[in-house]
Amino acid sequence: MSESELDRLRADIERIDRTLIGLIEKRVRAARRAAAAKRAAGLPTLDPGQEAAVVRRAAALAREGGLPEEAVRDLFWHLVGLTRRAEQDASATAAEQRQL
Amino acid sequence: MIIVMRAEATAAQRDGVREQVEASGGRSYAARDGNRTVLGCLGDTDALSEDNVEALPGVESVTRWRTPYRLASRELAPPGGRTVVRIGDGPAASVGGPALLVVAGPCSVEGPEMLLATARGVARAGAAALRGGAFKPRTSPYAFQGLGLDALRWLAEVRRVTGLPVVTEVLDPRQVELVAAHADVLQVGARSMQNFPLLAEVGRVRRPVLLKRAMSATVTELLLAAEYVLARGNPDVILCERGIRTFEPATRNTLDIAAIPVLRGETHLPVIVDPSHAGGRADLVAPLAYAAIAAGADGLLVEVHPRPETALSDGEQSLSLDGFTELMRGLAPFAAAAGRTLVPQPKALPEVHALKGRLGPTCVLEDAPAAEAV
Repeated sequence: MSESELDRLRADIERIDRTLIGLIEKRVRAARRAAAAKRAAGLPTLDPGQEAAVVRRAAALAREGGLPEEAVRDLFWHLVGLTRRAEQDASATAAEQRQL
Repeated sequence: MIIVMRAEATAAQRDGVREQVEASGGRSYAARDGNRTVLGCLGDTDALSEDNVEALPGVESVTRWRTPYRLASRELAPPGGRTVVRIGDGPAASVGGPALLVVAGPCSVEGPEMLLATARGVARAGAAALRGGAFKPRTSPYAFQGLGLDALRWLAEVRRVTGLPVVTEVLDPRQVELVAAHADVLQVGARSMQNFPLLAEVGRVRRPVLLKRAMSATVTELLLAAEYVLARGNPDVILCERGIRTFEPATRNTLDIAAIPVLRGETHLPVIVDPSHAGGRADLVAPLAYAAIAAGADGLLVEVHPRPETALSDGEQSLSLDGFTELMRGLAPFAAAAGRTLVPQPKALPEVHALKGRLGPTCVLEDAPAAEAV
């Protein structure tokens, strides 16, 4: 492989990473909106069953796509945890604002 | 090793240090201490010389770990100095902050109606979360072992109708995801505290973990068990002192009150106390609970049963709903003396009879992973 070919592949990977980060940002923003909608409807913002379903769905997609299923499960539990924190932060801020 | 960066160190200098640590085969975790970054290095960092690291740009000092646990140690505390674990909505359902967390409920889930009656009663008295065992680790193989998946479904359904977050024990690493689909907090019981595959699995699923001290475990062993969970990436660990085994037979266990301030000095993780298992007698629950809060505990885990005399397990140490209400009333001055707040959130919960039809043994949760049950 030529050096320019390797540089091109690295640039591709960097572009994918940027897209991934952008997608994570989008996911967190969507989760915050979902938390606000749940609060407005008087529902609890956290939903263990839904989180587990997200991970199971990701694992099934990984299986279909030929990716290592357990590693994808790990990744999605991380992602779910990260999003939950964001939802909770949004809830805590809303609760504080209500108290003020 | 622990690397403290200078307050004026740049992000590039911090990244440079982390690269060095990772190039030597270790991993680094960043925490904030005031306006400085503290890098805790884990794994094999033998190839790194302290002198060389200290000479790197932006580094203020390098010290060796003081303790065998790392992520649980005070050196890697989050901003504010203490981990606050949120287990539900609202300030009452978090632990480690100024508000005390009180989790209450039956030792075992015996049926949907008793669970709902207990949930309503404890919520009215000020509990912020519901406990209830679905899988029970019993000393004898012939004792009641819990109602398993049915109990999990009832817990999830009661959670849905009352809004109370649910804490329940997981015994088997293969059932962690199943329990995580139904509960807000995964409890690792005293008998499982050193079940390392279980600890790794609950570390993976990113659900808050309530880790109970084994009856013969030292404080360091408890913190190393917590380290297993933290090292898998789950930062939300709640420690629970529930009495240790001593020569004294007058109580089921001996509540190690000193462990509370010792743990709070050693770790940033929240510490709660289970006065029910510690004393093993209903009449000891209140005095032990008050002592725990006075000694600095962040919360309580209390066994409550609507009719303790008929309980299938641990009836002798369970409080009735009236007993629990009395306990919560008596707790207020102790909480105030310890500088803590109690956030009773009396909930207008539906009457039990209105829900009976919805909570029968046939109640099925949408998307429950029944096929994955062992």
